[in-house]
This record gives sequence, C-alpha cells and structure tokens, in this order.
Amino acid sequence: MKKMMAAFAVLWLMAVPALADQPVLGLVVSTLNNPFFVSLKQGAEEAAAKAQVSLVVLDAQDDSAKMTAAIEDLIQKKVAVILVNPTDSDAVTPSIMKANEAGIPIFTIDRGASGGKVVCHIASDNVAGGKMAAEFLAEAIGHKGNVVELMGIPGTSAARDRGKGFNDAIAAFADVKIVAAQAADFNRDKGLKVFENILQAQPEITGVFAHNDEMILGAVAAAEAAGRTGIVFVGFDAVDDAVKAVQEGKLAATVAQQPALMGSTGVEKAVAFLGGASLPEFIPVDLKLVVKE
Amino acid sequence: MSALLEMRNVHKRYPGVHALKGISFSLEEGEFHALVGENGAGKSTLIKTLGGVVPPDEGGEILVRGERVAWSGPGDALRAGVGIIHQELSLAPHLSVAQNIFLGRELRRGVFVDSRRMREMAKDLLAHLRCDIDPDRTAGELSTGEQQLVEIAKALSQKVSILALDEPTSSLSARETENLFRVIDDLKSRGVGIIYISHRLEEIFAHADRVTVLRDGEVTGRGAIGDFDPSSMVACMVGRRVEVLFPRSFRDPGEVLLEVRGISRRGVLRDVSFELREGEIVGVAGLVGSGRTETARCLVGLDPVDGGEVNLVGGALALRGPRETLDRGMVLVPEDRKRQGLFLNRSIRDNATVMELLHGLRRGPFVDREKRDEAARRHVRNFSVKCRDIFDPVFALSGGNQQKVAIAKGLAVAPRVLILDEPTRGVDVGARAEIHEIMNDLVHRGMGILMISSDLPEVLGMSDRVLVFRHGGIAASFDRGDATGEKVMLAAAGGGVHGG
Amino acid sequence: MAGKWQRFGSLAVLIVVVVLLALVDRDVIDPKNVANVLAQSTVLGVCAVGMTFVILTGGIDLAVGSVMALSGVVGALANTAMGLPWPLAWALGLGAGMMAGALSAALIAWGRMLPFIATLCVMAIARGITLLMTQGSPVSGLSPGFTHAGWASWGAVPITALIFLLLATVAWVVLAKTPLGPHVRAQGDNPEAARLAGLSAPGLTFAVYMTSGFCAGLAGLLMAGRLWSAQPAIGTGMELDAISAVVLGGTSLFGGVGSIGGTVTGTLIMGFLDNGLRLQGVASYVQISIKGAVFVGAVILDLAMKGHYSRRRSRDA
Repeated sequence: MKKMMAAFAVLWLMAVPALADQPVLGLVVSTLNNPFFVSLKQGAEEAAAKAQVSLVVLDAQDDSAKMTAAIEDLIQKKVAVILVNPTDSDAVTPSIMKANEAGIPIFTIDRGASGGKVVCHIASDNVAGGKMAAEFLAEAIGHKGNVVELMGIPGTSAARDRGKGFNDAIAAFADVKIVAAQAADFNRDKGLKVFENILQAQPEITGVFAHNDEMILGAVAAAEAAGRTGIVFVGFDAVDDAVKAVQEGKLAATVAQQPALMGSTGVEKAVAFLGGASLPEFIPVDLKLVVKE
Repeated sequence: MSALLEMRNVHKRYPGVHALKGISFSLEEGEFHALVGENGAGKSTLIKTLGGVVPPDEGGEILVRGERVAWSGPGDALRAGVGIIHQELSLAPHLSVAQNIFLGRELRRGVFVDSRRMREMAKDLLAHLRCDIDPDRTAGELSTGEQQLVEIAKALSQKVSILALDEPTSSLSARETENLFRVIDDLKSRGVGIIYISHRLEEIFAHADRVTVLRDGEVTGRGAIGDFDPSSMVACMVGRRVEVLFPRSFRDPGEVLLEVRGISRRGVLRDVSFELREGEIVGVAGLVGSGRTETARCLVGLDPVDGGEVNLVGGALALRGPRETLDRGMVLVPEDRKRQGLFLNRSIRDNATVMELLHGLRRGPFVDREKRDEAARRHVRNFSVKCRDIFDPVFALSGGNQQKVAIAKGLAVAPRVLILDEPTRGVDVGARAEIHEIMNDLVHRGMGILMISSDLPEVLGMSDRVLVFRHGGIAASFDRGDATGEKVMLAAAGGGVHGG
Repeated sequence: MAGKWQRFGSLAVLIVVVVLLALVDRDVIDPKNVANVLAQSTVLGVCAVGMTFVILTGGIDLAVGSVMALSGVVGALANTAMGLPWPLAWALGLGAGMMAGALSAALIAWGRMLPFIATLCVMAIARGITLLMTQGSPVSGLSPGFTHAGWASWGAVPITALIFLLLATVAWVVLAKTPLGPHVRAQGDNPEAARLAGLSAPGLTFAVYMTSGFCAGLAGLLMAGRLWSAQPAIGTGMELDAISAVVLGGTSLFGGVGSIGGTVTGTLIMGFLDNGLRLQGVASYVQISIKGAVFVGAVILDLAMKGHYSRRRSRDA
C-alpha cells in the first residue's frame, strides 16, 4: 500500500499540468450516431478552431448515465464552460446543479434543461421559422387565399413558437385568411385524418402550413387521395422524406434547422461570455427554407 | 429383526439398455458385502439407486431397517444415513479440503460457517485415515489418491449406517489401502454395513463377509465368501457364454501392418508394445480406464504421447493428428458413436461419405452429388444397413445400423488398419452377427483389425490374439485357443495369472 | 498460479491502468476525481456484485441492464403516480428486480433453459414492460428522499459509493463466511459434486438470480436518483460491462472461482478506464473499441489461467 502511494506521488510530480494557457471548453453531445448531432459537433469544432480555444467533445451515446458521467468529468477537468446538448431535460438537471456548485457556467444547446442554472440556451428560432414559412406561403399563393394550419401537440414549445411566428406574419397579409387551425399532434397519420376532414369542410384551400413534416406529409397524402390540386404545402424540420417531397414538387418548402450553426453559435457565445459579454437567456439560431432547386 | 438394508426387485431401464433386471440385495449391520461383476454388469447403477442419484424404476422397493424409502435426491439418502463414495470423484476442485468434506453440512456458529472447527474436524478425520493433508489446500491440487482419501473422509464425516464404496482403492497406494481397510473394520465393529465394489479379487477374499455377483444386470451368484474361490467367482462373472455368434474363419497372418513400440503417456499409458498383422484381429480386453481406449486415441493422434514409436505399414508415424493416420491408412471407429463417431442429425449419406470427401467424390473443387449418392448407396448395400433411403437421419437408425454406418464411414478411405472400440455395445443380436461377419470379411481381404471390447465372448470368439490391459500397460497376452474367459478376467482384475 | 491471478492479478491490472492514465493526466488521481470515479462506477459495481454470484455458479445474467430500467421505473412510478413515500417505492422497485431474477431462475431451473437464453428472454421482457409502463418517456418529479441516495454526497464521498461498499461487504461476508459461499462455488465448480452433497440446484439458482435481480434493481434506483428521473432506456449494454467487471476481477466464466474483492477491483478498472479516456477526450467510437479489447483480454487471461492454451493438455480419463 505504501509503495502504491509512493508511486502515485512520483507520478503526481511528473505529470504535466493539464491546463494550458488557452481556455478549454467542454461539449457533451447527446449522440454521435445521428447526422444532425454530428453536424452540431462539427460546427462547434470549426468555431473553436477559429476562436483558438480548445474543445473537448464527449458523446453521451443517447444514454443519460453516460451524459451525467461526462459532465462530471468535465467539471473535474475544470473546463471554462460546459456546453451540453442533453439527452433528456430531466436527467440533465442534477448534473447542471453540480456544475453550478463548482462554479462552471453551463450552456444548453437544442434541448433545454428542466432545472438548474443555465447561462444561455441556444436553439432554433421557431418563431422566426414560423414567420419564414408564413412569408413563403403568402408569396407562393400570391398574397391571397385560404390557408390551413396543422398544429403540433398543444402546449409544446415547438407548437407554440412555430404557431406564433406563423400567425403573426400571416396577419400582415390582409387577403390571406386562416380558415382552419387544428391540432394533429406532430403525427403523420393524424395529419392525414385531420386534413381529410378539413378538405370536406372547406371547398377552397390554397395553402397549408404544418408545425412539422410528418403532419404535412399526411396532408399531402390526403389531398392526393381526394384529388384536390392547386394547394401549396409548407412543412417544418426538413426530414429526409420531406426533402424528397420538395424535390418531387409535392411539397413547396420545408423549414430546416441548422445544427452546425447551433454548434458554432454555442462556442462563439461561450467565448464571448468568457470575455465578459453578457448574454440573453435564449439565443435563437436562424432557420433556413428548403425549396426545390 | 429386519436387515439393515433390503433391496427387492430393483429395475432400471435406460433408453436401449436394461441396466438392472430385478436385483435383490441385502445388507446386515456390521457386514462387509462385496459386489463384483464385469464392466457394465450394473454394480454402479445399483449403488446409485441406493444413494438416490438415479431413481429406480417403478415396482421395486428399497427398505432401510424395514422401512420403505423413496429418495427424491442424494440429500435424502445422506440424511437417512446412506453414504456413497462414487467411482467418479465428486469433489469441487476449487474448494478447500475442509469445505469439500463438509459441503452441504457446514458446521455453523449462528449464520456463519465455523471454519476453524471444520478445519480441525477435517484434520481429525484425515488423521484417522492416517493421512496428513492440509485441510486448507484446494482439492484440485491433490493427487488422485489424496482426493480419494478426501472422498472417504467426507463419507466418514457423516453419521452413516450404510457405506457404499465404488472402487475406492483404484488409485490408492498399498499403505493407503491398508489404512482404508483399518477404518472399514472400525466402522464394521460399530455396526455400519459396508457395500464394497472392486475388481481386485484379493481385497475381496481378504475382507468380505459375503459376495454378490452381477452379470448383465442380474444376480448370478451370491454367498458367503467361503463358498467361492477366485475361479468360481470369475466363472459367475463371465458366465458360461462362449457361444460365438459368427464363426470366424482364421487364416495365416501376413506382413506386419502396425508395430507399436513402447508408447507411454504420463499417468495414462506405460510402455505399450504390440504388433498387428495382415488378416489378423487382435482383441483388446481390460477394465474401463485400463488404457485400452487411451491407446487407440494415441495411435490415431488424438492425444499426444510422451514416448515410444509407432510404425504403420513400414514407415514411422509422427502422431501429429488424425489427418496423418487417415492418409496413411489407419482409421478409428470410436467407442461413443453418438458423441464421437457420427453426426446424428445428418443423413446416412452425409455420414457414410464424409471421409471419402477428403479424397474424392469431387468434380473440380466441388462435391459431385451423384457420385456421392452412388457411394452412399453402395455402402448401404454392402453393409446391409436397414433404412428407408440414404437420406434418413442417422439418429433414426437402430444401434447396430448406426454402427454399420460408422464402420462404412471409416472404411471409405480404404484403410489397412481398422481400430474398432466397442463395436457391438448396445447392438442387438442380429446386427451383432452381421458386424462380426463384416469384420471377418475385412480381415480376409488383408486388413488388420484392433478390436477393443468389454464383451468377453466377443473377444474370445473373434480374436487371433488377445491383449489384456491393466493399469495403463499390457498385463497379459494370449493366443487364440489359449485364451479363456477366466484367464482374461483374472489378468484384467489383477489375479496374478500370466499368459504367454 | 490461478489463485495468484485471482488475488493479485486484477489489482495489478488496476494499478497499471491507473498509473498509465495518471502519467498522461495527473487529474486522474486527484482525490475529487477518485470520488467522481466511485460515483460513476457504483451503479456498474452494484450490478457486478450480483453478477458475481451468478457467474460463480457457472451461469450468466444478461438481464441486468433492463432490470435496472424496470426497477427504476417501477420505483419512480410508485413514487410519483401512486404518491408512495420513497422507502415503499424503493421496496417495490427492488421487488420488481427480484421478481425478474426469479423468472430467470424459474426458466433455468424448471424450464431447463440455458442461462444465456433464459436471461436473454427476461432481458427483452423486462425492457418491454418498462417501455410499456412509461410509453417510452422518462418519469420525473421524484421526491427528494427518493433521489437522495443516488445523488447526494457526505462530504466528498458520494452516498452511492458508500452503498456500493456496504453491499460489497455484505456480499463478501455471505460468500466467505456463510455456507452459501461454498454452495455457490461448488455448484459452478462441479455441479455433480454439489448434487451428491445434497444441495438443491434449483434452490441455488433462485438464490443467485434473485440476488442479481436485487442488485440490478438497486442499481436502477440509484441511477434514477442520480438522474432525478427514471429513464426507460437506461442500462443498455450494462450486462456486458458488468460481466467485464466480474471477469476482470478474476472470477472465472466457467464458475467456481472468484471473489467479491476481485469484482470491486474489476469495477474500478472499468471506472478508471472510462473516466480516464473521457478526460483525455478520446473519441467515443474508440472508447467503445478499447472496452471491447479489455474484455477480450480479460477472457483470454481467464482461459490462459485454466491452461486452455497449453498444447499438451491432458484429457480427464
């Protein structure tokens, strides 16, 4: 036992100081098995290289236990800032509280935390996305006509924000009228059924916006089955199926999140924070419209 | 007063084998009752039914002190005072000697094991056997003889009124054996009944009060030890069955095919030498574990040897592995057809031609299906395998027909030397005669056969010469005509008779 | 030789791993980081203690990961949806773990299934029930008492680490000082010897698999405390980690040989390895591969100690 302690002591003296001059940022990504989060990580790495800070990236492998251990290790490593893209909003809370205790600032990316003190949450600006969709749709139907809104699960932040952006922007066009706004719970099947009913009730529909791609793809299918043409469809999220539908011309557009931009924004804002800048609680990240090329 | 133990009409059937055919057996307090018989006569099975290790079939009964018992497992028998020392050692190799001795009956203090008291008692028990094994050593480190003593100590540690010992002295030294008998005498004087299985006739004549002889699951002799002499006992064991099912026609042996010179394998074989000639069947007799099967495995390269050499048809063998011996024309048809000799779930065709595929039945690099089917049909015809067609799975065949397929498989590579280990075990009478006929035919065509068998009439009837193995070496060798059941049995059991 | 590996081999591996990691980064042996490693490895350690019992009998329990999730969720739902006080909720969670263990044991002892197959079935069943009960989403809103043990520390020492050490001590006493120890070992070492000594094979099977289920359940509850929520997907792959920890600790996969002390050491090896690789920012894909390699190394060592690779091995006649 004594020998072991002696060996440890020697090693202690030999070991190089872990912290170099430049600040070290830590990033915990929920998973690197999904291209979305891989882009997020790459964006963060590029921004770190540009800002000349070092960045340690840890992969939680979609496992809350691994996420917790990763955050604990970063706290132990005394990194300057921890950026976390949580696997789960509840499960990340105790780790954030530990970071708070250790005095390490925490940023959350994409998914928020349900507790603890977070410097800043960085995520897609859903309000702006809704606005973007509204303006595109109004343009496509010539600033005139009857539009339908398919809403996500009521009460979720995505449904709330996307709906707000959309409604506020549409209100600016006097001749565009929202004739129906119903919830279809982010679900393709429900999107189909809800839109079937709306088609029955509304003889004239020129445009549809749904809070996500699943619902809009359901609506497209319902319109095809009913033989109704001349409707402009706009979705949200740019999932693979939706992007394909855009290329085929079935879907006019879908609003895409920009994970790389989220990652780079996270790192840039963290560096600014270390430089003494004060940040708002929420930093929205721009979205982009995917239309047929 | 009723006997200490009474077994009446005990039957045990295994699939394909009727191991005990209505055995009755009794044991008195303080009696030393020896149980003798050939390998496979049913002695160990009888002991296992007594110890609750295997349940006897319906119909028989076992009474201890006049009360009928039906064990549901070895624990019941132990609790009722029946201790068994099994032939296969049953120690846990990584537990200590003391833990093994008290396994399942640990001495406790509260909920904890009282290791100190167990260690002391184990030391006492072993001292009683006059052996000085440290009770803290792990059982796996001990020599076989020491393990045997631990087994005995384990049995003694329980308050047994009946103690059955299945070949306890097979790995003990003379001094250890002597101590064992001293302990047994002591137990007898305290009224414990002893059932004693051994092949060592001298032990039986020196210690037994009464003897029961088993043969093929039946009692063939019983009486006080004074009623027997060694040859009458052996006569009961082997019976008067010398009828040969297929009369061999003998021919003059030709050139030497296989010459084995002094092969040894530590702890298994010592200095085994013999020759096998063209047109000859050499029978190999001996008890299980005497080195018969072990010799066969070494010859075909399945197990390594520590010394000695083997010449096959003129050239020396490197003994590197089965492929070499196959290529040089020597084939083993192993004892355990089900585990070693055949692929039970595959068809007759697949089994019978598997070895031929090593050399032929191909078109370019591919298997030629038609040639393969044709070869399989030929084997089935030649060996008169009874089946619907060559695509029947082998497990559906009777034991005899399975054995024919196993032999056909071996013969497919046209060997000069064939080693058959227990060629007719578990085979019915008709198929047995057919297998003997095949063997006769093969030697007439110039092959040499080494036949290992526990079936004395078969060994006596089929062999040109008989080798008797004992303790890993050849104890005796007899020419045809010279060999009798008694002589072979005595040589195998160590009766001190030596043949020419 | 085998005994020496069992006693000191795993300790030597632990020292080598820690020294190597510390050479690269002295933070690894910072007392606070050691406390960190303890907190991170206790969940694994608790599972591995139960697994040790199973492996000593020559069995294997692949269900520990999903039983962790099941117990966590059962306890959490009892605490939140049913509003039971935390000790009762914990009892229900532990009970669920033991029932899963009993199911494995029943399939093995009565259904005559191989442990590998039986526990694979229970693994799927437990995960399915967990997902069904939660509809796939985490259960949060646990009472402070429920999460306390999994999350809080006494001074620098995480409470989970104390629970792990307590459990390991109890398990060590059971294996070293009570009759169950030699019985469990004999069952793995030579089942026939155990049977002939009158030991009940089904009894031992139930004892060890229910122990493993209890430990997995405890691990799940501690994990729920650590995460302030019961995650239905938690524990995926835990069975491999637990088996690795047990085998790294010198317990033989063939049964009969091994100790709790070894398992604790094996757990720490895994914990330091995980922690050290993460501190160095080794890419996660590489980490997974390194863990696989460590497992291969441990099994090879186990086989080598058994003389599996000696060319002239004797056949038991």
